[in-house]
Amino acid sequence: MFLNRKKFLEMTAAMAGSTVMASAMPWFSVFNNPAPFGSGASDRVRVGVIGVGSRGTALVYNLQELKNSMNLEIAAVCDNYEPHYERAIEITNGEAEAFLDFREMIENVELDAVVIATPLHEHAHQAIECMNAGLHVFCEKAMARTMDDVKAMYDTHIETGKIMLIGHQRLFNPVYLQAMEKIERGDIGPITMLRGWWHRNTPWVFYDDTGGRGTALDRQRNWRFYDEYSAGMLTELGSHHFQVANWVLGGIPDSVMGAGSINHFDDGREVYDNFGLIFKYPNDIHFTYDCITSNKHNGMQVQVLGNDGTIELESNMWFEEFPVEPPAVQQLIDNISDDENATIPIGGATWIPNAPIRLGGRYISPDYELNDTLLYLEGFINFVRKGNAPEKLTIEGYNASIWTLLAEEAAKTGKEVRCPEKYIL
Amino acid sequence: MGTRFHLMLPGIDEDFGQIIFQKVKNEVNRVEKKLSRFLPESDIHRLNEAAKHYTAQVDDELFDILKACKLCYEVTCGAFDPTLRPLYEYQHKMVGAFVADPVFFDLKRRLGFEKVRLNEEKQYVSFENSSLEIDLGGFGKGYALEKVKEVLLKNRVKSAFVSFGESSVYAHGDHPAGGAWKIGINNYLQPGESAHQFSVSGGSVSTSSNFYLDGDILRNHSHIISPKSGEIDSRPIAVSVAAESPVLAEMLSTAFMSMDDDDIFDVISQYESLSAVKIDYSTGKANNTHFNITLLNTEHSELVES
Repeated sequence: MFLNRKKFLEMTAAMAGSTVMASAMPWFSVFNNPAPFGSGASDRVRVGVIGVGSRGTALVYNLQELKNSMNLEIAAVCDNYEPHYERAIEITNGEAEAFLDFREMIENVELDAVVIATPLHEHAHQAIECMNAGLHVFCEKAMARTMDDVKAMYDTHIETGKIMLIGHQRLFNPVYLQAMEKIERGDIGPITMLRGWWHRNTPWVFYDDTGGRGTALDRQRNWRFYDEYSAGMLTELGSHHFQVANWVLGGIPDSVMGAGSINHFDDGREVYDNFGLIFKYPNDIHFTYDCITSNKHNGMQVQVLGNDGTIELESNMWFEEFPVEPPAVQQLIDNISDDENATIPIGGATWIPNAPIRLGGRYISPDYELNDTLLYLEGFINFVRKGNAPEKLTIEGYNASIWTLLAEEAAKTGKEVRCPEKYIL
Repeated sequence: MGTRFHLMLPGIDEDFGQIIFQKVKNEVNRVEKKLSRFLPESDIHRLNEAAKHYTAQVDDELFDILKACKLCYEVTCGAFDPTLRPLYEYQHKMVGAFVADPVFFDLKRRLGFEKVRLNEEKQYVSFENSSLEIDLGGFGKGYALEKVKEVLLKNRVKSAFVSFGESSVYAHGDHPAGGAWKIGINNYLQPGESAHQFSVSGGSVSTSSNFYLDGDILRNHSHIISPKSGEIDSRPIAVSVAAESPVLAEMLSTAFMSMDDDDIFDVISQYESLSAVKIDYSTGKANNTHFNITLLNTEHSELVES
């Protein structure tokens, strides 16, 4: 079975009443019960995009895919960097009103919602001002540079009643729904550990012609390298997987320990080029996580280890600790035991546990053509129409961001760090 | 070899079975270390690196393997060609039509086993150009089975069944219940039922296909290159070949995937003990084409088509 849109909807409909969907991914029900809307201008959701850099451009393209099916309009775009401002106009064919200042945008254009894809340190004040202006917010991860800002964003969401969703797109990935179902069903036994990593071999330089590390332009463009603006790979990469760990384990850690350093790309950047962390969760379960940008051998992964099996979320695979024998081999053994010589279909194309694709493993979900960022944005537009979104979805983003920043503190101090009471929801 | 290996040794003493198993395992591991292009220390990897730039000398075993490949390449008029892997990788990397792609056609022009030069006198190997490399994926499992067969014969094992992920199997001696081993070819539209049966004693059955089975689901695994067009063959077909020699069964099952029926008959007619079936699933049912029905009269081998 190939998981296309139709099959996806059948799957979410079939799982609508299940415990796993209700507890882990209640937001998936929106695809079977979308907000009703007409094709007229009065039913059109008007979105503004703040920040049209690399990720922002991808989000614009995704939103454009939803334009007709969701009666959506990118009414305005904004970027304070001239080349990106020009690009925003170009990729929206000049149809969206363009601004260099987001405040001018939200003051002058009638909008229902904004999508924020600016540097991390800009998220908080922009999201807060937008929510206070009556707009729903979809903000790229992580939420903010400081825990106070993360909390302030969340509090504003509560006070204004405006939607605030954080772009951890795995929350809308059908593989995770089916993985959660497997875990819930006990297919891998009790969870005993989580392991994760994100390994790449790249200096991670987004812009070369900035005059070098430390210049004003470099600080603006390669903002991920500067402590004032970003926690580097912790916020920009690791936060995705920290969210996944919380999600799989159904709660937040008790504490986190870690270490980090710059041991290869020592070019003036202020953020780690490698780090390792241990998150301690309740029930004595640990999540170990490491990230490096000078070796790509291991790629990217989150493994859920159980007593009876292993799930690899990033590669859509699960492995049994004690895989069954191929049925025909077992049949042959049975026949020999029974002193019977019958025809056994033991020849032919490779049986999947033997397949060269991944020895011993099986797919969690069938192959699929779904784009989880697109599904997330479709969900967001539906929630905007309904006027609210599942609170659990917002909390997933919140906890991931808080624990990302606690992990940063742990790595910087070498201490075991717990979450201050004021940040626990 | 990227698959699971099963060895069944019915009716023998457990300690003796352990000894045989260890010997077989050592031999299979030795073959893998020699022939896997993924292992940097393998002979084939070193040859691929060296022969692009200069004449390389290889040991007797690898030279014999390359000669066998060359023979099969010639017998099948180029359908068995272990040099086409770069075309597969190019098509996976690039998206779009290849009909008008000059890079693709230049690459295709530079490949072909006839451009692998074998100097029999000195056992030297050289490649005509640097695009060439040898991938023994359509050879290795059959060769490993050949070596397993040698271990079993040398140790006077009377009966055994060996399987590399079911796509390459070897039936040694007779079935313990008497008679030849009845090897069914799984019908992938009705898994668990046989679309065809070979009866084999002292012979092998190898299957090549553009899919593999995931539970009850056929999944596309197009990896065979059509030597004529250079493109990946994605037809839902499977070819199984039964032969006394595991390595011959392995090579021909790969080659027959991209050969016309008449050409397959021509090849089969050159051998005394060979049988094959091509199963085409494109119509929604298993359509079989049988090739040659041969009875083997040798002491160790018997192939009967049914």
